[in-house]
Amino acid sequence: MDSALERALRLLVSGDPLLVSIIVVTLKMTLFSSCTALLLGAPYGVLLASARFPGRRVLILLNRTLMGLPPVVCGLLCYMLFSGVGPLRALKLLFTVAGMVVAQVLLISPIVAGSMETALSPLVGNIRESARGLGLSRGKTFLLTLNESKYALVSSYLLGFGRAMAEVGAVSMVGGAIAYKTNVMTTAIMMYTNMGDFSYALALGVLLLIISLAVNVLAHLLQRSVGI
Amino acid sequence: MIELTNIQKRYGSRVVLDLPALTIAPGERLALIGPNGSGKSTLLRLLAGVICAEEGTLRLDGLSRAEIGYLPQHPYAFDLSVQKNVELALAGEQEKTRKAQAALERVGLLHLCKARANRLSGGETQRMAIARVLVRPRKLLLLDEPTASADIQAIELIENAIHAYAQETGCTLVFSSHAPSQAMRLSTRVLALDGGTIGELGETEQVLQTPQVESTQAFLKNWKI
Repeated sequence: MDSALERALRLLVSGDPLLVSIIVVTLKMTLFSSCTALLLGAPYGVLLASARFPGRRVLILLNRTLMGLPPVVCGLLCYMLFSGVGPLRALKLLFTVAGMVVAQVLLISPIVAGSMETALSPLVGNIRESARGLGLSRGKTFLLTLNESKYALVSSYLLGFGRAMAEVGAVSMVGGAIAYKTNVMTTAIMMYTNMGDFSYALALGVLLLIISLAVNVLAHLLQRSVGI
Repeated sequence: MIELTNIQKRYGSRVVLDLPALTIAPGERLALIGPNGSGKSTLLRLLAGVICAEEGTLRLDGLSRAEIGYLPQHPYAFDLSVQKNVELALAGEQEKTRKAQAALERVGLLHLCKARANRLSGGETQRMAIARVLVRPRKLLLLDEPTASADIQAIELIENAIHAYAQETGCTLVFSSHAPSQAMRLSTRVLALDGGTIGELGETEQVLQTPQVESTQAFLKNWKI
């Protein structure tokens, strides 16, 4: 482990172009997919928690089912959609970072929505009743609910970010783990493990944890600075 | 005039409120008393429009939503300052700051006007919620256990604030309470609920001092005037 940590640090300072490419692709894919998933999943989660409409329970059930969607199944679906014979072949997304982002968004959005819905559901009854008692409009009540979801928003984003960063099944199928193009840290770890270079794989694993720690520290500082 | 006719509210198969007829006159102060689960909160939530009855009719004499003020049993402290929480009820009004601060002063909470509302204690939250609902004139004021989680000093402040508000606005006041002494101080009429139905209804002193119905007698048996 010590040697892996040492090698990870050595790799970091060495500026190895392959490693730099892996880190850049990983961050690009993770940031794009987690932010998109947040933009789609968070309002949907707030809506599921706060609005009352026919079919709401079915949508919650469906979302919870999608939260457990196996990544390889998602990868397979995207592969079939984007492949040369698939209906979305014209988009040319197979073996691209954009294609990996689409697969990640499909996987993560339900998780973000579910996390928001779970966090807000116990609050919305009280929020709605208090807002009603003050004669506030539905729009104002929705905005207040969003304001109350700040903490849940940060934790849901971190959940999505962590999932995007750790994901391997879907991204390897859709991205193909092509060096300098679509190879991310998880697929690279798998590749180097298969090649027998455990030390390099472990070093990449340590780097992955360091990046994850850095993002969590940033989020924590952000939470503290805005007093969430 | 508020009129409830053949109202029935059910949760699943359980009937939680069953009122053949109830009339509340304008400007009246009606206290709802009764043990837990007797239907006090359900009746208030029904009047506030938070829930609907499965059967019966409710006539609110043309009152709009803005003319009804309602304090739920568990008021929510929004993640804003105490003052901003109170100002929420003043949408579209002039002199929000002055009005909010005056309302907070009434409940002895002006010194905390800049504090984050979700950091207040239970009793302080209750007082802030009272200030929030009393900050603007309403024709119908519904309060669900307005002094829950308040200490003796706060109870006096809250009761004084409610009393002054009712005097100034001439509003119809309907409130629930576990304390018969509070009903005695604030109401002109008492409705004693029993298992979701009307146990006893009458003038405050008459119901509290000489209850005629067994369930009301049982509820009041440990209370000394």
